[in-house]
Amino acid sequence: MSVLQKVCKSPDSNGLEQVMSNSITSGPSSQQEIQRTDNSSPEDPPNKSIVTPFLTSHLQDQDDCEKRFCYRHNPKVRFDRRSDETKMREIQSELEKLPRRDKEAISHVWSIFSAAPTQHRSLILKGLLSQCCFPQLSLISQEVSKLIKIDFIETLPSEIALKILCYLDCQSLCNAAQVSTRWKQLADDDRVWRYMCEQHIDRKCPQCGWGLPLMAVKKLQECSRRRRSNDMDSTESIVERLPPRLDDCKPDVKRQKVNKKRPWKAVYSERYTVERNWRKGLYKIKRFEGHMDGVLCCQYDNNNLLMTGSYDKTIKIWNVETGKLLRTLTGHTRGVRTLAFDDQKLITGGLDSTIKVWNYRTGQCISTYTGHEEGVISVDFHEKLIVSGSADNTVKVWHVESRTCYTLRGHTDWVTCVKIHPKSNTLFSASDDSTVRMWDLNTNECLRVFGGVENNGHVGQIQCVIPFSLKDAIVTDFDEKLTDESEKQTDEQTQSDQDFVLQNPELPTHLLTASLDNTIKLWDLKTGKCVRTQFGHIEGVWSIAADTFRIVSGAHDKLIKVWDLQTGKCMHTFAGSSAPITCVALGDSRFVCGLENGDVKMYCFDA
Amino acid sequence: MTERKIIIITSDGDKFPVERKVAEKSILIKNMLKNLLPAEEEEEDDEDEDEPIEVPTQNVRSAVMKNILEWCDHYKDYNFPDDEQDDDSKKSAPIDAWDKNFLNVDQEMLYEIILAANYLNIKPLLNAGCKVVAEMIRGKSPEEIRKTFNIVNDFTPEEEAAIRRENEWAEDR
Repeated sequence: MSVLQKVCKSPDSNGLEQVMSNSITSGPSSQQEIQRTDNSSPEDPPNKSIVTPFLTSHLQDQDDCEKRFCYRHNPKVRFDRRSDETKMREIQSELEKLPRRDKEAISHVWSIFSAAPTQHRSLILKGLLSQCCFPQLSLISQEVSKLIKIDFIETLPSEIALKILCYLDCQSLCNAAQVSTRWKQLADDDRVWRYMCEQHIDRKCPQCGWGLPLMAVKKLQECSRRRRSNDMDSTESIVERLPPRLDDCKPDVKRQKVNKKRPWKAVYSERYTVERNWRKGLYKIKRFEGHMDGVLCCQYDNNNLLMTGSYDKTIKIWNVETGKLLRTLTGHTRGVRTLAFDDQKLITGGLDSTIKVWNYRTGQCISTYTGHEEGVISVDFHEKLIVSGSADNTVKVWHVESRTCYTLRGHTDWVTCVKIHPKSNTLFSASDDSTVRMWDLNTNECLRVFGGVENNGHVGQIQCVIPFSLKDAIVTDFDEKLTDESEKQTDEQTQSDQDFVLQNPELPTHLLTASLDNTIKLWDLKTGKCVRTQFGHIEGVWSIAADTFRIVSGAHDKLIKVWDLQTGKCMHTFAGSSAPITCVALGDSRFVCGLENGDVKMYCFDA
Repeated sequence: MTERKIIIITSDGDKFPVERKVAEKSILIKNMLKNLLPAEEEEEDDEDEDEPIEVPTQNVRSAVMKNILEWCDHYKDYNFPDDEQDDDSKKSAPIDAWDKNFLNVDQEMLYEIILAANYLNIKPLLNAGCKVVAEMIRGKSPEEIRKTFNIVNDFTPEEEAAIRRENEWAEDR
């Protein structure tokens, strides 16, 4: 009370400003700042008698924050809105234009409001609003929309703020990190980026349609089971081993040891850069020079080893980083048409009709398998099983341990590609007879033939087949023109084949095939029909490789094309090769191609 | 058998009588009621059967509670799938159109709805609220974000430049 009376006697503009900023920001204030101007005019007494006691009684409550402040203005709970200097200046200058008595009156109104407890404030505001006409309400509405701006990220509990940030895309997150210190802290949080990685690495994010390469450093045992880099369904489908294995995909074990926790944001950013380069087609080329004749086959282990086989009868092993030739393996008496390696052994098939097993670290040929009557066009292996496809129209299954060999007959022309699907213990073979056959490796029976005009099959020789499983929706040709007829047929087909298809849930869901009819086809394994045909190459496709996101194809037209696996759209066409492309291999951030003139090129998207 | 009435009392003392299934959209209240009514049917002929159950919610004011209950009422017959299970598909799903419209309120109301949904443990509403805020941030430049939420840039020009470089990789897609 005494304080109040004392300040009342010395009104000045400075004080007035304090009143204003105090009442307008409704911020926490000390009693000393509250001011009352001297009332001397005759109209004022009733006012005075109301105002002073009101202020007095309510200012006494000031210590009791609960009553004085609404929860948002309680300085103990969270900070107040900042006062807006320009706004204050504007109010000050407008106020100064008024006669003294008006200033006082307006100041009273503000003081009373300022001193009023929350419920009173609401009541006062409601009363004021009810008196407003539309233009005034419009003013309020404009002012209010400018005023109610809350820094959600800073003021919400951090677990909710992180939850909000998890809903953002990476670009928005990076922008959020540039807003303020607190925002940076939260937007760079490892939990947010771990979630981002989970959403995107090795899968397509359903929200943004982006997926990032896995880029894992393969552990030894994984490596030994992993065969061709272009076999996307090796052992366990990459598609299927997602979030739980994520910790494995922090790259570079060595770096991890030094710097124990690499931020997930850095992991994301590294992959993102690679993926963007893929999408934009930004790459650097590495060349591997040495073959004396056309390259027929290649495999890249996604890390540092590249092997190529050639018409010049040799296999060459390259260090990818340095580009240096590590070793040349000789022994085949004609061109090396096919090869497959893991971290221990290399298996090659030659036009000399033999299959050779090598210890590529020593360069020694461990054993040679003979039996095919014509050149070996394709080999694959899994554990103690080797399969081979030959120009003698047969597939042979070599059980290394029991030293037995089975011959699978059925194809009526060269067998150009064989692939083991270990999970379901089946074998897929592609042939120049324009069909793919699926074989049961337990019984050596042919389970199904993929092909024929009625199934929209290839019309030319098939050069490559890749079995794989994909759970995400895939774009098919039927999405464009779904006719009743095709639907019915699909149903019938499914019915008749349910017996074996349903018996083995481990079977791949789809096949990809490449053919000299210039097309790449996607097959639904259940219905046995081709569901998508990718056009674009103008001469026969010799080789394809695929991973979770894309298909790379090399063709006789000297073009390499990169396709989106999900949509089947051609993303890039790389020209500039001087000879037909005979083979391609795919890694997370690179692909390799071998040319008919002996060139080997690697397109690096991580450069 | 008539259901016992439930009355929710807000921080400012307003009383909202609600159906049980509406109130139980809040896991907090659901658990509270479970404790209060351990064996509902046995006590059917208890003398205080008609006594309404009062549920105090200290952290939620009346205007916010009104909105929250509107939301709960809209979804009273909808069973949300168990939370953590399909976290993934839910997280990536866009905001439900009704929710989006429902949350088209001023920032303060949105703020308080989020806090209340968190306090009352109404996950789907909390998720929707967070998504709405995320949408307010999405696609904006740092300066636009500051304007939207009235944030003061507390970086020095040097810091700002460094942080900008650090985040450049995400810029051109």
